[in-house]
Amino acid sequence: MIAFRSPEGMDARTTGAEEWRTRFEDRAPFLVACALLMVLMAVYGSLRKNVFALEELNLDTAAAMTLLLAATGQTIVLLRGGIDLSIGGMISLGTVLAATHFGNNPARATFWTLSIVMIGLIVGMINGLMVAVLKLQPFLVTLATWSILSGAALLVLPTDGGSFPAGWMRFGGASWLGLSSSVWLLVALVLFWLWFRKTPLAVAIRATGSNERSAYLSGVSLVFINVATYGLSGIFAALASLYLTTQTGTGSPTIGKDYILPSVAAAVIGGVSLFGGRGGLLGTIVGAFIITVIGNLVFVLSVSSYWQPIASGVILLVAVLASSIAEKSARRNLV
Amino acid sequence: MKDNFGTHRGILVAYLATITLLLFTSLVSTGFLAGAHLRSMALLAAFIGIVALGQTFVIIGGGIDLSVPWVLNGAAVFVTLFAHGHNEPLLWAVPLLLVAGALVGMINGLGIEAAGVPPIIMTLAVNVILQGGILICTGGAPTAAAPTALQFLAVGRVGGIPVVLVIWAVLAVTATILLSKTTFGRYLYALGANATVAKYSGVPTLRTVVLSYTLSGFTAALVGMLLTGYSGQAYLGMGDPYLFTSIAAVAIGGTSIMGGSGHYIGTIAGAFLLTILTALLPALNLSSGALQIVYGIVILVTVSLASEAAPKLLFWRRPLSQN
Repeated sequence: MIAFRSPEGMDARTTGAEEWRTRFEDRAPFLVACALLMVLMAVYGSLRKNVFALEELNLDTAAAMTLLLAATGQTIVLLRGGIDLSIGGMISLGTVLAATHFGNNPARATFWTLSIVMIGLIVGMINGLMVAVLKLQPFLVTLATWSILSGAALLVLPTDGGSFPAGWMRFGGASWLGLSSSVWLLVALVLFWLWFRKTPLAVAIRATGSNERSAYLSGVSLVFINVATYGLSGIFAALASLYLTTQTGTGSPTIGKDYILPSVAAAVIGGVSLFGGRGGLLGTIVGAFIITVIGNLVFVLSVSSYWQPIASGVILLVAVLASSIAEKSARRNLV
Repeated sequence: MKDNFGTHRGILVAYLATITLLLFTSLVSTGFLAGAHLRSMALLAAFIGIVALGQTFVIIGGGIDLSVPWVLNGAAVFVTLFAHGHNEPLLWAVPLLLVAGALVGMINGLGIEAAGVPPIIMTLAVNVILQGGILICTGGAPTAAAPTALQFLAVGRVGGIPVVLVIWAVLAVTATILLSKTTFGRYLYALGANATVAKYSGVPTLRTVVLSYTLSGFTAALVGMLLTGYSGQAYLGMGDPYLFTSIAAVAIGGTSIMGGSGHYIGTIAGAFLLTILTALLPALNLSSGALQIVYGIVILVTVSLASEAAPKLLFWRRPLSQN
């Protein structure tokens, strides 16, 4: 869709107003998500005091961050038009490796932190290679590697447990200028995205997701793009697992599966298209916060926690319907 | 012609892999090929095979059904709630829940084809909504025991043949006829191969898609009730493993996850392959972690062998000389 946005690609008949309209429709899903988050925050704020305070921001960001890191990788893969289910296995494997190997030694902890990130990168690159070279469906490839990684996690640590150095656990409590480490991580993530989305790699990923054939004909190497896309997703899954351990303090061989479909949901709620090429991380951040605030609301309303999946499911459908309608009308305008 | 060959190669690979695995297993584990053991494995394969029947139709049509786990679990929970351990209520509860499962499938199909929601999102959302609803209905506690008639359906035998296998055989023949001999089958393949072309060629896309998801809801609900009879009770989370195994059985059976190719005959081999693997690993003293690793590798290997790109990669040809 990039070509449609740039002025030089526009048809001569296109006026400024129409261009503005196209831009608006292109971002409509994201704007719908922002409006939804504001409504949810308003409801939440009316039910509870001090919602619009720094402390609440710190808490919510900490609650959303694991999902957000996982969803960052997922967003990159979705932009390319793929899907990565293996992040669930990678998150499980990351937490159990950290829990069993960190010991109480900073040097060992550093070594294993880097190793876990490397494992994420390598697993992701293997995913990408299989998608590109064997021409297999991303859904199947990553379903299989998810199974393999979860199995490996169970072999490393059959049940929840393990231990972490005391300093590791202090990460979540650390703060600077009143903002917790999680919020600074969020700031870093946003800065990363603002830089990353302009890089040639990101443009190529988006172009491949938009139209694989024309990207290939424009000289994009599909093998390289797939390896890079899934490799990045693996790195972010590894980071999510490391962040998760700073919150829980244990390794769990089964926890990863709780993040697979929510990571897709966060991205899709935020306006990332499952068909590739559309959306961005800012939408995903909004999506992840929507899911987190729904959890808060269920808690504040003191209804059964089982309402949370129902509310998330309904919001997911509403968001997708809104973006599907917007996409249809955008397409009608372009033809 | 080429498409036909690709389809058949996938099914052939699945059956060869299943037979090889069965022979290998009988070598490492004595008594594996004994009648009683084979029968108990066939029973487990039937549960996977019946869930995967609906999934096969959905995937051939170019979709995917992630709502299987909680449709299955819902039927299992409600059949025990309705029956309260008695046999008489089953007469209305079983048909009612089969219709309910089919209705959920119909909603999936309508959301996907009429409202344009991607299949992954639609069925995922329906799955979590059902999950929440069922948990609220039961309060998260397990329910009553399965009535004896349900247990007979799941583990009983008629003339030495397990009832479940009879049900499976009837369903398998029906599925084969539907796919190979009816216009619905042709429409489904056309739709999975290229939805746009199918639509402009006059395929009734809405009806076809809705029917395929309806079938999937129906088979998931059926297996939910059979499994309740098999394990003597319904428990929460009993459907979760069937999301992975139903998709895996279809994929191993040579059906492209993109849609438009494959057949239920392949899925049957996939269901047997997964069951043999599950039975093999305890015989080799391997843990559940190893089982998951082997599951993943088997999917990758069978799917790679059936892939269009595989022959080109396996039989390397030198590029023609440049001069």
